[in-house]
Amino acid sequence: MLKEELRTHTTYSGRKRFFTFPIMVFIFAFIFGLSMQRLLQNTSLEQIALLTQGGAFIYGIGVGSFGFMGRQYIERGYGAKNFLVAMPALLPLTYRKTFLGLYLRDSIFYIALVLLPATLGLSAAAPFVGFKLTSILLFFLAAVLSFQIGTSLSFLGSVLYTRNIPSFVAFTSAIIALVILGGTMTMFDVMIIVPSIGMQLSVPPFGADYGTALLLGLEAVAAILALTALSLFLVRFRYVSREARFGTLLPRYMAHFRFSGKYTELIGKEIVDLRRSGTIGKMFFSFVLPLVFLSFTSWFVNTGLGLPIGFNSVFYGSMVGFMGILIFSWLNNVDSTDYYSLLPVSVPSVVRARIFIFMFLTTGISTTFVVILAFVQNEFDLLWLAILVMFVTSIYMVVMTAYLTGIRTNTFLFDMSIMSRFAVMSFLPDVGLTILSFSIRTSWVYALTGIAIVLFSLLGATAILYKGIERKWGRTGFDV
Amino acid sequence: MAVINAVSLSKRFGRKQALDNVSLDVNGGDLFGLFGPNGAGKTTLLRIMTGQLEQDSGQAVILGIDAKKDPMEVKRRVGIVPEVESPPTYLTSYEYLYFVAKVRKIPDVEGSIERWFDFFDLRDARDTICRDLSKGMRQKLMLASAFIHEPKLLFMDEPFINLDPIFQRKLREYLLGYVKNGGTVFMCSHILEIAERLCTRAAIISDGRIIKSGQMSDLLKNGARLEEVFMGLVGKGE
Repeated sequence: MLKEELRTHTTYSGRKRFFTFPIMVFIFAFIFGLSMQRLLQNTSLEQIALLTQGGAFIYGIGVGSFGFMGRQYIERGYGAKNFLVAMPALLPLTYRKTFLGLYLRDSIFYIALVLLPATLGLSAAAPFVGFKLTSILLFFLAAVLSFQIGTSLSFLGSVLYTRNIPSFVAFTSAIIALVILGGTMTMFDVMIIVPSIGMQLSVPPFGADYGTALLLGLEAVAAILALTALSLFLVRFRYVSREARFGTLLPRYMAHFRFSGKYTELIGKEIVDLRRSGTIGKMFFSFVLPLVFLSFTSWFVNTGLGLPIGFNSVFYGSMVGFMGILIFSWLNNVDSTDYYSLLPVSVPSVVRARIFIFMFLTTGISTTFVVILAFVQNEFDLLWLAILVMFVTSIYMVVMTAYLTGIRTNTFLFDMSIMSRFAVMSFLPDVGLTILSFSIRTSWVYALTGIAIVLFSLLGATAILYKGIERKWGRTGFDV
Repeated sequence: MAVINAVSLSKRFGRKQALDNVSLDVNGGDLFGLFGPNGAGKTTLLRIMTGQLEQDSGQAVILGIDAKKDPMEVKRRVGIVPEVESPPTYLTSYEYLYFVAKVRKIPDVEGSIERWFDFFDLRDARDTICRDLSKGMRQKLMLASAFIHEPKLLFMDEPFINLDPIFQRKLREYLLGYVKNGGTVFMCSHILEIAERLCTRAAIISDGRIIKSGQMSDLLKNGARLEEVFMGLVGKGE
C-alpha cells in the first residue's frame, strides 16, 4: 500500500520532483529553527508550540478521510488502475484489515513526508541555536500523536459519513464546537481534545513534569486506539451496489447549460457526476466550514480578545475567493477521466469546463456569505467592494490553480516546483488585499487605489493564465 | 490505399523500450490483427495511432492525418475500443451514449442510441449507472460508443473480452460486414481462434518490434494454426 501511494504521487510529478517536497520541508524547518531567536522576540515559545501541534492535528484531519476513499476506490472507475483496498473481494483479506492497512499507510506516508523532515530540519538547526535534541525528539513524539489524533478523528468522521449522514453532521458539529469552545474561547483546556499538546507543554523546554507528560501521552495513545478501533468496527464491509436505477438527467442539464457553447456536453456530464457521487455535499462542507471557522476566529480576535484588527467585509471577500481552491480540488477528484481520451475531448476543455462549474457552484454561496457578513458587521457601504474582491480573487485563484495543476490538483500540489509557484502566486495578492482591506476605514483613497491595482493585476493575470491553459495542457493525455 | 501508415515509431517508458522502430501499413477494407505477448507494445502502438499518447520518434498517419499533430481530428474520425472497459462511473448507459453522441455531433442522437441498444441488447441497462454494470455490459457499452458515429476506421483493443459467445459471434459478423462495406479494423487480441477466422492481415509484435507481418493466408502456410505460428515466433520454447 505504501508503494501504491508513492507510485500514485510519483507517476504524475516524477520521483525527483516529488522527493524535493520533503527536502524543502527540511530546509524550511532548518531556516525556521535558525530564526527562532528572532521569532521569540514577538511570540512566546508556548504559542509556537501550540501552533505547530495544532497544525499537526489539522494536518492529520486532512489526511484521514479514508472512509470516503475506500468507497471511492471500490465504486469509482479508476480506468486501468486498481488499488489494494478494492481487493478483499479477490484476496483472502478482510475489509477491516485493508482499512487498517490504509490507516497505517497514510500515517507512515504523511509523517515521513512532512513531520519527519521538519524534525530533522529543526535538529540540523539545533547546534546553532542551542536547542536540545531531546526536546526536539519530544516535540516530534507530541507532533506524531497530535497528527494521529487528527487522522483518527477524520477517519471516524468519514466512516460515519458512509453509514449515516446525520451522524456525520452531528459528529463534525461536536468536534467543531469543542475546538471553538476550547481552542478559541478557552472555555476549557484544549488539552482535553488534543492531549499531546499538554504532553508537549509538560516537557522541556516548557516544563519538567514527566509524570503528567506520560499520562497525557498515554491518554493520546488511548484516544487514537479507541477512535481507530471504533472506525474499523463501523467501516462498511461491502460497497456492493444495488444496481439502482436512475432517472435521465444529462439531456436536461445539457439544455440548461447550452449557453456555454462548446463546453455544454462536458459541463452537463460533470454536473451529473457531482450530483450522483454525492460530491456536492462534501464540497459544501469543505468550503463552508473553513469560512465559518475564519469568521468565528476573526470575530473572537475582535470582540473576545479586544484586538482592534479591522477584519471587514472586504477582507472576508478576499478570503472567500482564496478558499475557492478547496472546491476546485474536489471537482478534480470525482471520477476517472480515462474515457475522455477515446473522444475528441482535450484536457484544456475539461479544465475550462470545471472552471465554469466552479463559478456556477460557488458564486451563489460566496455572495450569500459576503452579504451575511456585511449585514452582521453593519457594513453595507463596503458590500459592493467586498463582492468585487471576492469575485476577482475567486476567478483568479481557480484559473491559477487550473493552470498550474490541470486536472490533477491534489497530486500536483505535492510537486515542490508547482507548490512553490502556487504559494507565491496566492500569497502575494492575499497579503496585499489583507493589508489594504485593513486600511479602508483609515485611508479610504489609498486603500481603494491599492485594491483597484491588485484587482486589475489579478484580472490581467487571470486572462493570461486562462489562455495559457491550452499551451500548458494541450498536449497532455488524460492519464498523465 | 493505406488508411494507417506508421513509420519508425519508437516509445520509451523510463527504462523500458515499449516500441522500437515500428513500421506498418493498413489498407482500407483490411481487418488487421496485431498479436503479441503481454507487454509486447500492442496497446502502446494503438494508443499512439489514436492520438492518446505521443511517440518519441517516428510518425503515425491515420486517414491522412498526423496523429501527433492533430490527435483531436483523428479521434473525431475513428472509433476506439480501449483495453480496459472504463465508462464514466456515474452516467447511466443511456446517458453515456447520449454524451458520446453529442460530443461527436451525431445528427440523429436518439435513433443512433436506439440502434446500438438493440444491437447489444442494452435496453434493460438503460437507466443503470455504469458503476453497476457487469464487465460484459460495460464492454458492450464501450463497443456501442465506438460504433455510434459510424466511423470509417475502428481501433479495438481486445474487443471480444468479457463478451459471451452469442455476442462474440454477433460482433464477429458485424465486423465482417463492416469491412465488406468499406470500413477498416485495427485490432489487438489474445483470442487467436477468433482472430484467425476474422483477420485478413496481421502482424506479430514482441519486445516492441514487429517480428512478422503480412496476409493472414501467408502467415498460416501449410495449414498451420495462428496459435502455432505465434508460439513458434514468441513462445521462447514454451
